[in-house]
Amino acid sequence: MEMMSALLRRPAAASILSLVGVLAFYVIFGGVDLGKLLNAASWVNYAARIGIVAIPVGLLMVSGEIDISIGAMIPAGAMSAAIITGYYEFPMIFGILGAIGIGVMVGLINGILAVRTTVPTLIITLATLVAMQGVVLAGSKLLTGSASVPLTAPGWAKTIFGQLMFGGSHQVIIVWWVIFAVVFWFVLHQTRYGNWIFAMGGDKESARNAGIPVNRMTIVLFVLTATSASFVGMCHAILFNSAQVSGGMNDIFNIIVSVVVGGVLLTGGFGSVPGVFVGTLTFAIVIKGIDFTTIDRNWSNLIIGVMLLTAVAMNESFRKLALTAVLGKKENAGDSVVAVAKNN
Amino acid sequence: MKLSNILVAAATAAVVGTTSMAADIFVVGGKPDDPFWSRVKKGAEDAGRVAEAQGGSVTWLGPQNYDNLGPDAAELIRQAIDQGADAIVGPNWVPEAMDPAFQAVVDAGIPLVIYNAGGIEAADRLGAMNYVGAVDYKSGYAGGEYLAKAGHTNGACVNTLPGAANIEAFCNGFNDGMSDNSGTGSVLQLPATAFGDSTAVAQAVRAHLLQNPDINAMFAIGDQDTNATISGIQQAGKTGSVHVCGMNFNDSILANIQSGTQACAIDQQGYQQGFFAVSILNNHVMYGTTIPTREILTGPGVVDASNVDLVIAGVEAGAR
Repeated sequence: MEMMSALLRRPAAASILSLVGVLAFYVIFGGVDLGKLLNAASWVNYAARIGIVAIPVGLLMVSGEIDISIGAMIPAGAMSAAIITGYYEFPMIFGILGAIGIGVMVGLINGILAVRTTVPTLIITLATLVAMQGVVLAGSKLLTGSASVPLTAPGWAKTIFGQLMFGGSHQVIIVWWVIFAVVFWFVLHQTRYGNWIFAMGGDKESARNAGIPVNRMTIVLFVLTATSASFVGMCHAILFNSAQVSGGMNDIFNIIVSVVVGGVLLTGGFGSVPGVFVGTLTFAIVIKGIDFTTIDRNWSNLIIGVMLLTAVAMNESFRKLALTAVLGKKENAGDSVVAVAKNN
Repeated sequence: MKLSNILVAAATAAVVGTTSMAADIFVVGGKPDDPFWSRVKKGAEDAGRVAEAQGGSVTWLGPQNYDNLGPDAAELIRQAIDQGADAIVGPNWVPEAMDPAFQAVVDAGIPLVIYNAGGIEAADRLGAMNYVGAVDYKSGYAGGEYLAKAGHTNGACVNTLPGAANIEAFCNGFNDGMSDNSGTGSVLQLPATAFGDSTAVAQAVRAHLLQNPDINAMFAIGDQDTNATISGIQQAGKTGSVHVCGMNFNDSILANIQSGTQACAIDQQGYQQGFFAVSILNNHVMYGTTIPTREILTGPGVVDASNVDLVIAGVEAGAR
């Protein structure tokens, strides 16, 4: 019982239960063949695509900030690689560096604006989102005269960034996702940097007074989110031999929803990498799993909405459980969140 | 319905689904809430009644949105393979992104029909059984030709899906149809997020018309975009002086053709595309039959004031 309640208090608990709930719903009401679903690649590929971005976004949200410019950075990364290597025929390595470089650049802009101004990061990154949409469309039309650019990547780049593994349908990006998850799990939960991030999300002023380099950490986190998004775009361009200006716009919502289903508090200070990992899996199964059901596709958006609401509601009650259990009383002050989160 | 009944139904569905002689056909297409694609879906499902009567099934796979069209559709094709499809129908929207996925279908020995986009060239290149659909270039050409012959010789094609090969072909065809009939054509390029967003399309059309007052003909690539284009023309105060043709039609477009606010609609008869693609594959999987006629054309057909009443009768009869 003690073990059970300890498990339920972890930030990942709700997302794991959501995952089980979603699978049960699809099996019971949708007639899903579980073996077929688990063997299929579509939802894992999709989870990896949004998951690589969701993990750094999760960290950023734990620190109390948000980045929606990722929506423009995915096509920006794809188009950088495709224009540099596909259109101008420079070696692939320059295309890769260009895609990573544009991520670092926009991340720096976001981060520096976030620490130098008092404008909320939602607004700052909304501005860079829209601005980058313009840069990508106008830049592509200016340089190539087209809004869609083909790209033929060399074998080694395909092997590392954009192949289908074992001759099946699973993309190599899944491996990258797992690597990202392990590295970020280590950083967030095993190093002092992780503690700093939780502390920043709890109370920025206190964190600064405690000697945490809040500004530097914020900028680094913004660089990580923007760069991971441009990295995903680049991988997709290499895998699908083409890039188009507006790919990935809808991913903003999907990524943030995955992070929230994964148990990260929108206001910061609470969350975990395993939670975001499972949250992304859950969201991917909700979105892609509907195709494996006998449910009429016309209902799919309604089901997705209801499932997400249920998952987030579960998160809410588990978080209350976690906070009250640790404190031993009903009230919980804002900065106690830090103490709880550190226990993970 | 009791839980036990649901479980029995699910179990029955599972058993029926694994019967070896029946055809489980997967159709990759557009969003089900897209008016044009809902018609294709209906055609596929109507043909699927025969498959269902034989114990088979028809499953529609559509993307969540059109932001990432090529890769998303390629993913859906691979998903159909993973789901154990006996036959697959798919449009070749973005060849660079989708060809490898179609190749995987053919390599797996699954019968394939390309429909809606790509043409017989795509079917030949990929080793598909056939192509069912309109030829996009000819559809656009028919629109350009119609408007130019009516004396509206300065045309603009509203492209809301940049990068999609079939949409580029519409606009190229439209421009050629214009210039072959002593007119001139151009393209109004919008970001892909504008597709299906009537306000964004209408605003862009209005601004474009105010900047280019000489334009007197426009071509839109879908029925929602056509309505939005007409709204943009109204907002620019150019009703009656700028004439519109558009791909596909629905009830409101037919009413607009009757009342004269729209000059013509180019019909590619989406219902037929879904219906014939599924029929060809079902009969092939069940009985080994083929259709030796290569390239089953379902368009272009021009709907204008001269035949609109017949078309409306066809809509009421459920045939169009």
